[in-house]
Amino acid sequence: MAKTETPPPVIVLKELKKSFGVGDAEHFAIDGIDLTIQKGEFIAIMGPSGCGKTTLLNILGLLDSSIEGDYELDGVSVDSLSQRKQAHIRSERIGFVFQSFNLVSRLNVIDNVSLPLIYKGLSSMARAKKASKILHDFHLGEREFYMPYQLSGGQMQRVAIARALVNEPSIILADEPTGNLDSHASHIIMEELSDLHQKGNTIIMVTHNPDLTTYASRVITMLDGKIDTDTFRLPLPARHSLKRPLGPVEKPKSKKATKATTKTAKSTLAKKPKIKKEAS
Amino acid sequence: MRILLANHIHNARQSIKSNRLRSLLTMVGITIGVASITTILALSAGANTIVRSQVDALGGNITIVRPGAVSNSSLDELSQLTTPTQFEASSLTALDIKSIQALPHVTAVAPLMVLGGTVTGDSEASPRTPIVATTPDLELVNNIGISEGQFLDDTLNPMTAVIGPQLSIDIFGTEHSIGKTVHIKGASFTIIGVLKRQNNPVNYNNVDFDSAVFIALGAGTNLNQGSLHLQQINVQSDSVEHLESVITDINKALLKTHFGEVDFSVLSGAQIAKPSSQLFIAIAGVSVAIAAISLIVGGVGIMNIMLVSVAERTREIGIRKALGASNGDIVAQFIIESLALSVGGGVGGFMLGYALAFIISTFLTFDPIITWEIVGTAIGISVVIGTLFGIYPAIRAARKDPIAALRQYE
Repeated sequence: MAKTETPPPVIVLKELKKSFGVGDAEHFAIDGIDLTIQKGEFIAIMGPSGCGKTTLLNILGLLDSSIEGDYELDGVSVDSLSQRKQAHIRSERIGFVFQSFNLVSRLNVIDNVSLPLIYKGLSSMARAKKASKILHDFHLGEREFYMPYQLSGGQMQRVAIARALVNEPSIILADEPTGNLDSHASHIIMEELSDLHQKGNTIIMVTHNPDLTTYASRVITMLDGKIDTDTFRLPLPARHSLKRPLGPVEKPKSKKATKATTKTAKSTLAKKPKIKKEAS
Repeated sequence: MRILLANHIHNARQSIKSNRLRSLLTMVGITIGVASITTILALSAGANTIVRSQVDALGGNITIVRPGAVSNSSLDELSQLTTPTQFEASSLTALDIKSIQALPHVTAVAPLMVLGGTVTGDSEASPRTPIVATTPDLELVNNIGISEGQFLDDTLNPMTAVIGPQLSIDIFGTEHSIGKTVHIKGASFTIIGVLKRQNNPVNYNNVDFDSAVFIALGAGTNLNQGSLHLQQINVQSDSVEHLESVITDINKALLKTHFGEVDFSVLSGAQIAKPSSQLFIAIAGVSVAIAAISLIVGGVGIMNIMLVSVAERTREIGIRKALGASNGDIVAQFIIESLALSVGGGVGGFMLGYALAFIISTFLTFDPIITWEIVGTAIGISVVIGTLFGIYPAIRAARKDPIAALRQYE
């Protein structure tokens, strides 16, 4: 695997292994992965169920620290970090987006979004301001005081992304972010992630949907706990990226569009390039 | 850290609100425990001050002489409570009365000889009716009020008696019993006075004056086969300043008449109240220990509910951890929630306890007392219970594996 000198690697995995069970029942969910991820990459991890995608993501997100091998985050071996320090890194550097949104059901939207800020130690006023701002950016300003169950799936996932981003993390880990969404909502979510990528964030996304890999700058497929294929290429600095945001035309009215255009956009994702042509 | 604390409190409030009934029932356990402890403490503090305030009310110039040396162990003081039925022979004699009377600054000396025996008027009194043989000075020393007639007088016929109002009602059916004849241990006495109602069944004389009959010391000695048996000698000095010197003088004088044997004790102020205070403290201690059991039950209830709450919110814990909460944050969140339950129950219990104490005190002769110690005890107990029984669920919450927690219900 080639290494670049220019941008320092954010994540370096060396001979990473993760096993479940003991003795005869021992099973390696991750069986020796070497991986270097540069700053500003948008990585899509694909692979069949049970190949260790989610396990890998959990390890990258410091949720699972009982691993063999070496995991270096920003040049620091994770092994040497205390639990407290790891929690701190999760708070400052990493944003999680889950397939099932994982909003706290008894908190309203703005409280959900300001949840990560609590552990950063911000005052309630500062939290509300920041959360409100990011919700506006995601066109959810009017939904601030809704409860999660009052939102559509797409809206919930956008709240979840807003929550993942409110701490301004540099790494975003997304575990099948569109897995529970219809194709139109998926498209919107992917646009948001793509936008973040443009801004220079590192995004690592696990997905089952091959169509979504078009958004990624690098696609990794896994099989039985090992990396099967990797379309590694040198990442381009974000502002010179060849990729252009796909939906600036749609974005301002995305809120209403969610429902209004569902019918027309039934096949949006599959025929995305075509739609783009029509739009332009 | 302060901001986090405010947030945890906000969180706890929200969680308690969303499970209103469950939280309320959990709090009731603590409320009952704290209420019973508060009631007991408030009432016993009230009872404690009775004897003390009686001594103070008499002007602080009273000292009493009792047979038997003072013991330093508080447990002994419990058994040292002199009762009219105590069997120990008294070491105090008529000579002691005389030598105390002769001391300077002593204005009144009232020996108390309490006898048991049948007291009969129109009907027979309870067999435990105290017959108090004393001198006229008792009126001065104890500031006894007379509602009708007069107190004992040396110049009168020795076969005269003064009667307490309650005893008068018990045996004659009226408080106006002057001139009637009362039979004490077979001898007939004419009633020359009725005392004012004192309503002090617990006092340093260990005699309820309301239901006692008073006769002269000489007559009492005769009823007791001619032997004098003094429970106590009450001494009044002419001023508070001279009390110290009077006590010293009494000690010296009695030591001389008792040939250097310290078989008596001279008590003043708080010392007089001590044996009865000790008794109340012991009673209160035992009751509090029993009430503490209900607190433990309440604490187990809190622990139970917190475990349920942790199980219910496993997913939330996972989310919070993924978003950057450290184990400490999770522990703090759940401990504060259990503290909110126990302190809420404790405050409720404290108020309920005082309400109860006041209701109970309407049937008693003393009022409950609110002291900072009791407030502190009630709040302290609830904090301790909340922390103690909240710690295990909180640690369990913090130890949850975030991945497993996030996978729940998926």
